[in-house]
Amino acid sequence: MIAGQPPGQAGRDGWRASWRAGWRVWWRHSTARLVLTAALLGAACLVWAATPPGSAGPAGPALVTLGACCLAGSAARLALAGVPRPDTAGYPGPLTRLAAWALDLLRRLPWAEAALLAVLALEALHPARPWHTALLGVALTGYLFAVHLAESSSGRGESAALLRGQAPVLAAGLGLLVLAAGSALLPGAGTGPAGAGLRAAAAVAALLACALAAPV
Amino acid sequence: MPDHPPGAPAPATDLSLSWSVSPHARRLLTLAVAALAIAIGTGRPEFAGLAAPAVLLLAAGRRARPAQVQVTAGLTASRLVEGERAAVTLAVRGADGYSVHLVLRPAFAIVPLPGPGGQRPGHAAGRDAALPFTVRRWGRRRTGSAEIIVRDRWRLAEGRAVYGLPGLDCYPRPAVQQTRVVLSRLPQRLGEHTARAAGEGAEFGGVREYVPGDRQRSINWPATTRRGRLQVNTFQAERSQDVIILVDAAWDEGEPGDTVVDRALRGAAGAARAYLAARDRVGFISYRSQARWLVPGLGQRHYYRIAEAMLAVERDRSYDPGFARLPRAALPPGALILVFSPLADPRLVETLRDLRQRGFAVLIVDVQAGDPWLGRGRTARLAHRLWRMEHQAIRFSLRELGVPVVQWDGQQSLDLPLAPFARRALVTRR
Repeated sequence: MIAGQPPGQAGRDGWRASWRAGWRVWWRHSTARLVLTAALLGAACLVWAATPPGSAGPAGPALVTLGACCLAGSAARLALAGVPRPDTAGYPGPLTRLAAWALDLLRRLPWAEAALLAVLALEALHPARPWHTALLGVALTGYLFAVHLAESSSGRGESAALLRGQAPVLAAGLGLLVLAAGSALLPGAGTGPAGAGLRAAAAVAALLACALAAPV
Repeated sequence: MPDHPPGAPAPATDLSLSWSVSPHARRLLTLAVAALAIAIGTGRPEFAGLAAPAVLLLAAGRRARPAQVQVTAGLTASRLVEGERAAVTLAVRGADGYSVHLVLRPAFAIVPLPGPGGQRPGHAAGRDAALPFTVRRWGRRRTGSAEIIVRDRWRLAEGRAVYGLPGLDCYPRPAVQQTRVVLSRLPQRLGEHTARAAGEGAEFGGVREYVPGDRQRSINWPATTRRGRLQVNTFQAERSQDVIILVDAAWDEGEPGDTVVDRALRGAAGAARAYLAARDRVGFISYRSQARWLVPGLGQRHYYRIAEAMLAVERDRSYDPGFARLPRAALPPGALILVFSPLADPRLVETLRDLRQRGFAVLIVDVQAGDPWLGRGRTARLAHRLWRMEHQAIRFSLRELGVPVVQWDGQQSLDLPLAPFARRALVTRR
């Protein structure tokens, strides 16, 4: 005990220190921070795409609501990933059956994909604003990676290892995003022969993406 | 389904992988296609740029994928007791450069446990992994299947295969029993129970006068000094007994895992273990629709024979309404009959009366804890009253015949209900 310290103070300090250390260990090893990051990034994307309010037309509020619901569903799915499905063998009670059904629904529906579509639609409803869209693209890519790491990472250091290999490709993609945003600022972009060329290139890229994602 | 004896090296099985887009790739594809569609529709190039990172990742992550993997799987134990821990061991080969994730899809009554290092229950990562589990209820169980998920380096594609796991035998968890009920008349066979007759045991019996032929080492010198004549110590004989454990599985009721039959089998397993540890010969009779029996035997191997016979109770589905008498072959003369029963089947009650009339010492452990579920409402209440009255009448009639009935809830030690009979020898009278 330190001289002049009231009795019991040392014990309380020790308990606080051990609680903090335990909390730190849990925070480092759990996926809670990745789930939180994904939820915050998703919310930031939605807010960013929705601003300024009112300029997205009459469909804007509906898309914001849809996006918020989907983001909440996505966060809940990630947070409950480790929860085992209630055992419905035999004759379970109505609460057990309801819990199993809700968990199945939460895991089966494509929440993140629906949230992406809502955010993109919201952004498309706004008048053209290339740099705003480019920043949204960066945030959406970050959101996708946060979701991916939250659902597949199981230990400390695995996230960094997973991202390290993809960093050059991601950097190239972000470079293309900056170029596209810059070209959108040029007068006449998206109209005339340049616009037709862009449309053709985008269609080819969409087909290519589908073909590349197909298994084997 | 692969099945091989435990301990033997399991042969590797080739499993074809079914490849699909991973959830991450699906999300990237959604982003890319939606952004490009908007770019085409609105003529805004920034949306095409928004799709660029996703398209590049999908393009760069593509590589040749293995069509199949070699899997070696087994169980650390193919025989275990309820609640005991075992593990599925899996080794996956032929997926170099890919990450492997293993998921246990458990069958009924198999409960996955968390692995070392905070691993989620039923999940493991790596080419060689163990998935720990426990079995909640006795019986011949299917373990389930193991899902092998192979992911590429960026986790854009997933190859899945399912491996059917071998089954296992789960024996009922033996109830705790330290003390034993011993009969007053024991057969002339060397054992560990102190008999009333004088013999060559270790238990002191008394002192008597020396007769020629007595061993010198048994002379009691203090008594000799006091009485002035040679006195010798006498000892009591040590005998073993025959114990027949009868499990009534004719009627079952209760929550799965704590039914009447579960309790009866756990009690029977505990009693068999306790009596076999005392070198008694233990026989087993299961009574469901007809009696199936195992002749009395000794030793640890016999315990496992009894445990196997207990597992056969689950498969017995036939029904014999005329049955009322246990065969003579299953009942050695002078045996102690220990019955685990809810006393709900009138045929068994008649059989127990018959046993008592044939001179056997019968002790019944009633495993019906509380009333059975008969529904709600007035009719159910009436049914409950009738059931209770009938149950009490059966117990009373058995006690009148000299058959003690004790209650056991399946949770506490069997020593508690059997304590009045374990303190002294159970007197057998005709």
